[in-house]
Amino acid sequence: MPLIVEEKPEVLITDEGIRTDGRGPLDIRPIKIQVGILSRADGSAYIEWGGNRILAAVFGPREVHPKHMALPDRAILRCRYNMAPFSTPERKRPGPDRRSIELSKVIREALLPAVFVEKYPGTAIDIFVEILRSDAGTRVAGVTAASLALANAGIEMRGLVTAIAVGRVGDWIVVDPNHDEDQWGDADVPMAFLMEEKLVTLLQLDGPLTEEQFDKALELGSKAADLVYELQKEALRRPYEVVRLEILKGGE
Amino acid sequence: MVANRDLVLPGQALAIGPVKPGDYVYVDKKGVLRSTKVGLADIRDGEIRVVPLAGGYIPREGDLVIGTVSKVAGNTILVNINSAYMGIIIPPRGLRGPSRAKYNLSLGDVVLAKVKAFNGASTPLLSIEGEGLGKLRGGRIYVINPTRVPRVIGKRQSMLMLLRDKLGPDIIVGQNGVIWFNPKTLRHALLFEKILQKIEREAHVSGLSDRVLQLIESSGLDEGSGSV
Repeated sequence: MPLIVEEKPEVLITDEGIRTDGRGPLDIRPIKIQVGILSRADGSAYIEWGGNRILAAVFGPREVHPKHMALPDRAILRCRYNMAPFSTPERKRPGPDRRSIELSKVIREALLPAVFVEKYPGTAIDIFVEILRSDAGTRVAGVTAASLALANAGIEMRGLVTAIAVGRVGDWIVVDPNHDEDQWGDADVPMAFLMEEKLVTLLQLDGPLTEEQFDKALELGSKAADLVYELQKEALRRPYEVVRLEILKGGE
Repeated sequence: MVANRDLVLPGQALAIGPVKPGDYVYVDKKGVLRSTKVGLADIRDGEIRVVPLAGGYIPREGDLVIGTVSKVAGNTILVNINSAYMGIIIPPRGLRGPSRAKYNLSLGDVVLAKVKAFNGASTPLLSIEGEGLGKLRGGRIYVINPTRVPRVIGKRQSMLMLLRDKLGPDIIVGQNGVIWFNPKTLRHALLFEKILQKIEREAHVSGLSDRVLQLIESSGLDEGSGSV
């Protein structure tokens, strides 16, 4: 079997601020979102973010199994982040591992503040985030898609959650790190916001940043999230708009 | 901030100030009224609410629901009512004769029941005491998204009346999105399914009754007007 050897690019970012994929430091990768594509789930969303391909599905509120996990005053929110065996350059051993268990927890906690769990006592809301193809930043793309799947399932929410990562490469703060920057960059800050009130629901840090760099990362991340948020809202509206336009056209 | 019948999304600001928050609207810390769901804004008499376009069925006291018996344990009957919560029917004590016979339900039976009590914490208590309530015989069951039920019924029951007039009187709509229909012919059954699909898909665009009427007329089943 040929061994896949990844090589570090000579320069991750040029002096002019050109990145390995040609983006500037503030540019996000192309994003495509579709909502409601799984008819068997109560809510669903599919996102293409750079090279990432992610499906998010939501079931619930539904009966809790096992029953003893149910809470009398609110719904329990459960999340499973899972990578397909074919989602990585080399086959990933299927099943939960240390990393995916942690990401499941992190995604759950990024979404929990947005959900009115107290409206659904004694029930469960299940979120599934399936990574079909991974290309850096799967957790933030996963949160972004899962938040839409929740809205699509008609679960009462305080608002949508948008996530984005910001990294550091040398002295550059780069928005939405790509695979190379994720692998060989100096720092990585994934973050998520409850967008309407700009409350932070996820903030992780991997790698050293000065205080100024950290502030800048947060600021740039917040600005980039605004762009992603617009795409989310558009995706959520689109199915209804399509039907509306179709009827308007047919009525002529 | 929004106009009547605008499509709104979770978190979207609807209004600030002396407006009453209605269904699926919450007030944030700064006093802004926001939607909790994808739906249509409905502004009326100083109140703003959201008519949801997605979501499951949460029982409310007084709702008429249709369910299937999923478990009979001694005296109590558990009913699947297309919800996160299982409905429960408990026969009142001291019943004899024909009034007791109503409670002889078995697995898979379809029942029309009323939500008698539900507080969110315990199982919703259903009642089949009352005219027309109880086991439904014959007919077919259709399940739609519970958020579309108001559209199947229509303003002052206009849609339901239209359907009963054109397709036959045996239509019962449960608030939980389960609909019972006893069609005259298979063609009626298929047309009814088509109509429900149309209502589900196009609920957010006004002029729905006209489009449904058009569908019925184009099907050629119109002649058999069910009005007595």
